[in-house]
Amino acid sequence: MTWIDFPLYSSIIVILWIIGLVFLLISYKKQAALKIANLLFVSGWAVMILFVVKLWLELDRPPMRTLGETRLWYATFLPLIGFVTYIRWKYKWFLAYSIAMAIMFLTINYLNPETYSKTLMPALQSPWFIPHVLVYLFSYAVLAASSIVAIKGLYDSYKGNFKIETLKLADNLVYIGFAFLTLGLLFGALWAKEAWGHYWTWDPKEVWAFLTWMGYLIYIHYRYFHTQNSKRALTILALAFVVLLVCWFGVNYLPVANTSVHTYTQY
Amino acid sequence: MSENNIKIQRNLWENPWGYVESFFIGIGLIITGLFLEVFSTSGSAFTLSYPFNLYFLIGYVVLLFVMYKWFTTTQLIRWLTKVPASISSIVLVTVLVMVMGIIPQVPSESKIITNLGLNHITSNWAFLLILFQFLTCLGLISIKRILQFKWSNFGFILNHTGLFLALIAGILGTGDLQRLSLDVYEGKPSWVATNINNQKIELPFAIYLKDFLIDEYNPKLALVDNKTGSIAHNDGKNLYLVEKGETYYFKNFEVTINDFLPNSGRIGARYEPVNELGSPPSASISVKNIENDSIQTAWISSGSFRYPYESLKISEDYSVVMTIPEVKKFSSDIDILTKEGERISTVLEVNKPFKHKGWKIYQLSYDDKMGKWSNLSVLELVKDPWLPLIYIGIFMMIAGAVYMFWMGNKITKNQ
Repeated sequence: MTWIDFPLYSSIIVILWIIGLVFLLISYKKQAALKIANLLFVSGWAVMILFVVKLWLELDRPPMRTLGETRLWYATFLPLIGFVTYIRWKYKWFLAYSIAMAIMFLTINYLNPETYSKTLMPALQSPWFIPHVLVYLFSYAVLAASSIVAIKGLYDSYKGNFKIETLKLADNLVYIGFAFLTLGLLFGALWAKEAWGHYWTWDPKEVWAFLTWMGYLIYIHYRYFHTQNSKRALTILALAFVVLLVCWFGVNYLPVANTSVHTYTQY
Repeated sequence: MSENNIKIQRNLWENPWGYVESFFIGIGLIITGLFLEVFSTSGSAFTLSYPFNLYFLIGYVVLLFVMYKWFTTTQLIRWLTKVPASISSIVLVTVLVMVMGIIPQVPSESKIITNLGLNHITSNWAFLLILFQFLTCLGLISIKRILQFKWSNFGFILNHTGLFLALIAGILGTGDLQRLSLDVYEGKPSWVATNINNQKIELPFAIYLKDFLIDEYNPKLALVDNKTGSIAHNDGKNLYLVEKGETYYFKNFEVTINDFLPNSGRIGARYEPVNELGSPPSASISVKNIENDSIQTAWISSGSFRYPYESLKISEDYSVVMTIPEVKKFSSDIDILTKEGERISTVLEVNKPFKHKGWKIYQLSYDDKMGKWSNLSVLELVKDPWLPLIYIGIFMMIAGAVYMFWMGNKITKNQ
């Protein structure tokens, strides 16, 4: 019953990461502190993986059905993305952001305890379930990161010290995130054909997933042809993330919500 | 295109058309479409079926090709292959889909919504017209890049041509798509299905249901507020599964499950295993009040369509109840009987459809009032002859997405 162990595990992880963040801050003055920070982040992440694996084994089903479970995955992927981006681009602030976001998601889960529902409706028992959800969550995490880059870019240009590298980082994250978003959308279509007989039914969640996809499509096309107008590109990117947020949990509050097959928060 | 050029004064509709003209044309198309919605008399959606949709597809692609090949110097074609036209049509399609994402797509009481057709966007003229412009842009630039093939354009071609194929085949395919629902009863052959408009359609084969089976999870245990009747634990989420020997805690009550019977009937003061129609699950539970150490033991049952449920009142405020078990899996063991006298046996299950002569047969539903004793199984039959083309498009886009992920990284490394 590992959700019961969640407070224990999450406190260990959060403590490790917070100390890590402190060391990361120190590393701006003393380079040596960075190693300790990384060590703390990695060990926190190892505990995280241990918890996810234990939870999965205990539940006998992929832990991807409830909103709390998706937050858990979000908290797992963000530090990973932070690390990969850090290795390539050496942005400490970005690593700090991804860790801080992961801490936030763990805290939300701690405040909204979930127990251990084991049941899974027949339509979800499909080999497409895991790839569809994992690919989507990974994509959301990357795109969330890109929107933070956008906000930083807007802030920088407001302060007058905007660097074009910031936009390049955003581009890279959007390309990776968008590729995964496309895969998630198409896997969903292929699965829907097997489960419900049609690949696309304009279910409210599908409508908003499509809109999210279109939003990033606009950004990519705009950036491709207008490499100089950074401010408008950043605005488009920030707006696209708003659509993504509506798709992720806003749909449940829209007048169209009760016709959706994706209301996974109800159980 | 450098930003400085924008400052140069340029008249509207002067060569080349930019964003202003693009949005002008796009919004013009939408307004035209909305006028058609208000004034056109035919209420039914615009669909083409075989062979006209095939003619349309061939004609459309040939036309796009001819336009690109020989009329590329005209203002209109040049505009359609340029960025402002693409971006404006993406934005406007997005706007209309957003309307669909906000206004429920069901019959509406609002006059404005009904007259403008905002509750059936997918068959709305405004949407069809702007989508047509979107597809034309997409088709033209796909042809352009295919004719000027370079390996560095490979991902571009996969993404754009894949989307073009999937969209056009999906739109034109709706005219030929058949979705029928068929009720089959245990021990009886059925061959008359109904379509979405409730018309009876005779199938070229019959389906004989040998057995309908449901697997259930164990029922769950819930604490219910006696006054409101609603679940008073964990916000009604994530209830505990009833399993023999388990102990659970609700507020200051310790509930132990002494025994669990999946099929049972009340005999005197207790439940015994029985196996008859509608025999519900039951459990013997002991509830200990931690405050005063008093213990209550009783049988509870979730009931069924034949027998009432039984709960246990544990205090003035609360009762312990057993929920109706959730379905784990349902399946139909069927024979397909063809006109040629063949007999094909298969088992249908959710997520495991069966293919037969261009039809895909799905397990859809059952009589949920009867639950696991249902002898009715509802099947869905789908025929979609355009599916291969859609799948080609989808798989091209999947390949394109993988390419994009890969090359996106490469570009960075080189910089």
